[in-house]
Amino acid sequence: MQRKVALKITTTLCTKNGCLDAGTIERVQSLAFLIPQAFVANTQRSLHWFLRLRSSSIFQVCVMSKAVVDVPPKGGFSFDLCRRNEMLSKKGVQTPPFRKTGTTIVGLVFQDGVILGADTRATEGPIVCDKNCEKIHYMAPNIYCCGAGTAADTEAVTDMVSSQLQLHRYHTGRESRVVTALTLLKSHLFSYQGYVQAALVLGGVDCTGPHLHTIYPHGSTDTLPFATMGSGSLAAMAVFESKYHEGLTREEGINLVSEAICSGIFNDLGSGSNVDVCVITKGHKEYLRNHQLPNPRTYVSAKGYSFPKPIEVLLTKVTPLKEKVEVIEGGDAMEE
Amino acid sequence: MGDSQYSFSLTTFSPSGKLVQIEHALTAVGSGQTSLGIKAANGVVIATEKKLPSILVDEASVQKIQVLTPNIGVVYSGMGPDSRVLVRKSRKQAEQYHRLYKESIPVTQLVRETAAVMQEFTQSGAGRPMLGWLQTILDFNVKLKKTKLRALGNMSHKKTLLGVRPFGVSLLVAGFDDNGPQLYQVDPSGSYFSWKASAMGKNVSNAKTFLEKRYTDDMELDDAVHTAILTLKEGYMHLKLLFF
Repeated sequence: MQRKVALKITTTLCTKNGCLDAGTIERVQSLAFLIPQAFVANTQRSLHWFLRLRSSSIFQVCVMSKAVVDVPPKGGFSFDLCRRNEMLSKKGVQTPPFRKTGTTIVGLVFQDGVILGADTRATEGPIVCDKNCEKIHYMAPNIYCCGAGTAADTEAVTDMVSSQLQLHRYHTGRESRVVTALTLLKSHLFSYQGYVQAALVLGGVDCTGPHLHTIYPHGSTDTLPFATMGSGSLAAMAVFESKYHEGLTREEGINLVSEAICSGIFNDLGSGSNVDVCVITKGHKEYLRNHQLPNPRTYVSAKGYSFPKPIEVLLTKVTPLKEKVEVIEGGDAMEE
Repeated sequence: MGDSQYSFSLTTFSPSGKLVQIEHALTAVGSGQTSLGIKAANGVVIATEKKLPSILVDEASVQKIQVLTPNIGVVYSGMGPDSRVLVRKSRKQAEQYHRLYKESIPVTQLVRETAAVMQEFTQSGAGRPMLGWLQTILDFNVKLKKTKLRALGNMSHKKTLLGVRPFGVSLLVAGFDDNGPQLYQVDPSGSYFSWKASAMGKNVSNAKTFLEKRYTDDMELDDAVHTAILTLKEGYMHLKLLFF
């Protein structure tokens, strides 16, 4: 791509200079022929080669095209700071811990649509930093997405794609499709080469029917009738594999999803607290926040908590630090 | 008129202190189809005549009134394609605002941003991506009337070169937010005003006179709709009378 760009510059500028004589054209053509070989080696070297030609316009072009070469690629992960980070970690500087949703997220397709489920624990290393966070994110009125992985990543990515879907809806005048959300998410995640650590379960009902997909941090996707992601995915999948069948009713589906999430909550350390469920059907959605609370705070001391009594005040004496000096001089003629 | 010499270039003031291109843009608006808006006590109405060039045109595919956000709509008078560009930009602005502040954009903010876009196109070639060297290449291929372009010369030339012109539309933005119902008119120059009732396009003077007579501050939404339709009909009737 850069090669083509440099070529274009040289040819156009040479002709425009007015020197349409055979010599210039020849020179341009010879340049064009020789450039590919030079570029194969090194762009820098070929630029120096240009300079040697001693043509003022081409010289100026070289300066320009050098600028073109330095243009960073659009979008995607920028690896600029990776070396510095490596150097810092060798010197003992640790990256700060980030909030993860060590998680159980699930989804399944039932007879009328899609049911998504998630637990509500967010962890920072070994510490539970949020006992009741929301992991089921809104994408479109008919599409919801559960997120596992780094909490910031899942929220930012789903927010961004939700925005893009809204704009798309305005432009087309139609309901968003699940595959649209899927493609937007996967291409974003792929361009960041897995550094955006968001593992998602995307589900929704559109004009083509109910859909359920999983999206991995590197950008690969699966289309499944039932899916689980996160650290508790194995526990939840065990439940699904034994009890899922096609044509579940709404009640059966919700119970199965709750059971799977509870299995994750009780058997995985990274998942806990409550169960969130979201039911999406054609033209209707129900977000059952805290559908089940299997971990209530059970023990509250009946006596209350007694704190040590404060020390009694025996004496109060105020000593000003500076003496207040009042200066009385023969007042100004102006006063009074 | 000394102005005629200055009517080509957008970025040059005429001796009388006007930007003649913008005046021409307003003329383009004035020859567009009538559209009007009325602010009622509990809502805003915007209306326009949907006049199609022929009966063969699929009228369901033509949408003159567009939605920018769930509580803001817009109608235009003038060049349809220009309005599409503005609608697209405004929608994007509204979405970006929502993403940043997690609140639906207030009507005044959206109008301000739309007006800023329109003003940009009257002063510079802003809104186009910075193409850098490619821009200079393209510049060489354009024939200029009087100026000689030197290779890699003046970058400022490129702004007048690539035919940037003001938008040939006026927009009526109607919205409902925390400050109640609001109606704004945005002109090609980028200036905007809040109106209780306004009209633009053909027959604007008749429409405005009619609105002035009929408008009351405590109008209900249904009354406003009725008045809007009557005003449009009035313009239509006038046209009919002219022919007979």
